Amino acid sequence: MVAVLVAAAFALPGGYVAWRVIGGTESPLALLTSPRTLSPLWRTVQLAVLVSASAAVLGTALAWVTTRTDLIGRRFWRVVVPLPLVYPSFVGAAAFISGLSPGGIVHDLAADLGFDLTMRLHGLTGAWLVLTLFTYPYVYLPVAARLASLPTAFEENARLLGDRPARVFSRVVLPQIGSSVAAGSLLVFLYTVSDFGAVHLMRFETLTQTIFRTRLFDRDRSFALALLLLVLALVVVAAERTITRAGARRGALLTSDATVGDRRALTVPLGRWAAPATGLVAGVVGLALVSPAISLADWGLFGWMRSRRGGAPLRLDWDDVLAPTWNTVWIGVTTAVIAVAVVLPVAYLTTRHRSRLGGAVNAVVVAGFAIPGLVVALSLVFWTMHASPFDFLIGSMPVLVFAYVVHFGAQAVRTAQVAVDAVPARMEDAARLLGAGRLRRLATVELPLMLPGLAAGAGLVMLSTMKELPATLLASPIGFRTLATQVWGTYEALFLPEMAILALILLAISALMTWLLVVRRSDHLR
Amino acid sequence: MNTRSISSRLVRSAAAVLILVVLTASATACGGDPDSLTVYSGRSEKLIGPIFEAFTAETGIALDVRYGSSNDLALLLAEEGDKSPADVFLSRSPGPAGYLDDLGMLSELDNDVLDRVATGDRSPDGTWVGFAGRGRVLVYNIDEVATGDLPDSVFDLTGPEYAGRVAVPGSNSSFQDWFTLFRLRNGDDVAIEWLDAMVTNDSRFYPKNGAIVEAVGRNEIQFGLVNHYYNFQKVVANGDAQRSANHGFAAGDDGGLMIIATATVIDSSEEKDTANRLLTHILSDAQQAYLTNKVYEYPLALGVMPADVLPPVPADRVGAVEIDDVAAEFTRTIEIIEASGILDQ
Repeated sequence: MVAVLVAAAFALPGGYVAWRVIGGTESPLALLTSPRTLSPLWRTVQLAVLVSASAAVLGTALAWVTTRTDLIGRRFWRVVVPLPLVYPSFVGAAAFISGLSPGGIVHDLAADLGFDLTMRLHGLTGAWLVLTLFTYPYVYLPVAARLASLPTAFEENARLLGDRPARVFSRVVLPQIGSSVAAGSLLVFLYTVSDFGAVHLMRFETLTQTIFRTRLFDRDRSFALALLLLVLALVVVAAERTITRAGARRGALLTSDATVGDRRALTVPLGRWAAPATGLVAGVVGLALVSPAISLADWGLFGWMRSRRGGAPLRLDWDDVLAPTWNTVWIGVTTAVIAVAVVLPVAYLTTRHRSRLGGAVNAVVVAGFAIPGLVVALSLVFWTMHASPFDFLIGSMPVLVFAYVVHFGAQAVRTAQVAVDAVPARMEDAARLLGAGRLRRLATVELPLMLPGLAAGAGLVMLSTMKELPATLLASPIGFRTLATQVWGTYEALFLPEMAILALILLAISALMTWLLVVRRSDHLR
Repeated sequence: MNTRSISSRLVRSAAAVLILVVLTASATACGGDPDSLTVYSGRSEKLIGPIFEAFTAETGIALDVRYGSSNDLALLLAEEGDKSPADVFLSRSPGPAGYLDDLGMLSELDNDVLDRVATGDRSPDGTWVGFAGRGRVLVYNIDEVATGDLPDSVFDLTGPEYAGRVAVPGSNSSFQDWFTLFRLRNGDDVAIEWLDAMVTNDSRFYPKNGAIVEAVGRNEIQFGLVNHYYNFQKVVANGDAQRSANHGFAAGDDGGLMIIATATVIDSSEEKDTANRLLTHILSDAQQAYLTNKVYEYPLALGVMPADVLPPVPADRVGAVEIDDVAAEFTRTIEIIEASGILDQ
């Protein structure tokens, strides 16, 4: 019941798009036969499939290496590996491109060391590379959380029986983390479909680009295309559910018979693989996190030195930093906590009860992630102003948090589903037999077991909220400023040094919060 | 840590968060203060914020400003309709203002506001007034291109010496503003022929003005059609390291055009007098001087001179041509741009 209500709330943006299309003059079906629609649609699918596949491989590999091996500095890597997620897409791509181009700092540093990094990044290759580097955390976080909560007995046994690590991985680990990998890749797919900033700077015309370009002067077509995007997302979400369900049976079999609570840390000695593994982790972090950060630091330092030398002063004061930083922190945490609380009933319904209703609720909640943030914001304005008694709430904090939760809830749902699934039914039965009530079972048996998974979902929502832009600009209380809106404002005015400093602050705050709230929390349970 | 305390802490923090949210909501929901105005600004805070601060300092009237992209804010206003809290909307170009005008959402401005600018810099029906201009120019790489080789006309760019060397921001709204006017003045045939020739000449598509100036600066491409403003900001940021400069086309050429930022008063506003007062302030000599000396834009108020460093004032303005159906003309522009294939270059 609660789950259905939640789903109804999540359906608001989609309902708004459908309503506008019905009232408009463009039919999505007619548009489908036009090459003006088909070529961006085809490019969107191509890019989304490529990015999900590469992010799945990269995210899984990084998760395994940082949780299951004796990699040097694992705890440090666990904090920094998820961080590329926090670059607002346009900033990350801009810093990435300009750093690697001739004259950019990363390019020149590498040239001094004798490497020619000249990459003319654009189009499909450029968009694919940048999006892979910025979205693999969607796979990494849930998979790492799953690995942290899995009993290690099977891996131990397989190893004692003489299986090599690669074989242990493919026969024992992969079946158990399969659903987490699928969950993460689905998020990557939906993110890619709805991304605007990176594809825009890479000059790759996807469906979202067309929607944005036509949004004001050809609104009917823009909405019809948004509906197509939504249908594409629904199809992919449904397909993912069917496939994972079929695959999950094997994994579930293994888990349910394992001894829960057996969490001795299992570390696979890397041996002669230590150097390549370190190279992989350092290489990915270097490309995705450090190289844009170096470009930003370069811009920021340039501006600071310039003002020190008596040139143009930095146009940035404490007002631009302090309140936005605090706003970013508390809105991120609030949204994450509320999102997890709201989607938990959905996760229960969709994993414990195998019904058609569960499938529908799942599709509605998850597919919402593919709707661009601008449309989510407009839809909430539309519904609160014209179809509810709550129009006094417009431009207030609850509407903003509601917009975030609807937009990003999908990220918590898929990880929560995996977490719920990981609680063996036998344990619950045992607690029930011992006379524990529903709430007590939830609090003392299930929540602790699910905590790593829920924390990973909350972490994803938090990082996404902290960088969110269109919904923050349009649905926030007037005058509410976050670091992301400040970064955008300086970027639009082309105040690059100021933009760089703000973006680095956003990065630092995100690192701190990921460590405090996500990494430390799941480490407790080891 | 025992599990009981984890979960009770979770519950406690969730409750605290909820209370906080409700409190902030009730605090922000009270409004309707007559001593304040609500402004939706499509111009960024770093550029226009000081003008707002000066207004509040002079009049004691507080301004609540929502910043965003002009197109998004226009969509938001259209969605809010007559329940919109906005009194004033500032747009980076006449397009979004024209869109709202077609929906009947703009009020007619006071005459003393309209009379601050030339007739070409305001809408014929008096619903918007221009307050700052950005010129369309050709940005070029100063190491690769000698000043003597710079073209007089935008039509020259289809020649062989420019093959593969010109960046065109096909999806950018300022470019679309320019192209709409270019099309209305020369006719669709000439405009389509020019754009197709640019595509055949291997011109490159870039998404934004800023990206073009950056690409030209690092010699990824040698020329670009942009707004003059971006190169000024890059030079402020990078000094001599910025290897690009602006070139204005010859006087009267179709390549040069002024895109004017517009100010409007929303028809549903209950504070129209105060709103007009804000517009008068933006068009005052002092604020216009700030706009040209500090932000490097062209002032539009009569009698205020542009900063010396700016290229000569472009002769043509977007506002000078009356467009009957703004949305239809822009839709047509988008169609032509898409059909040309420039977005795939």
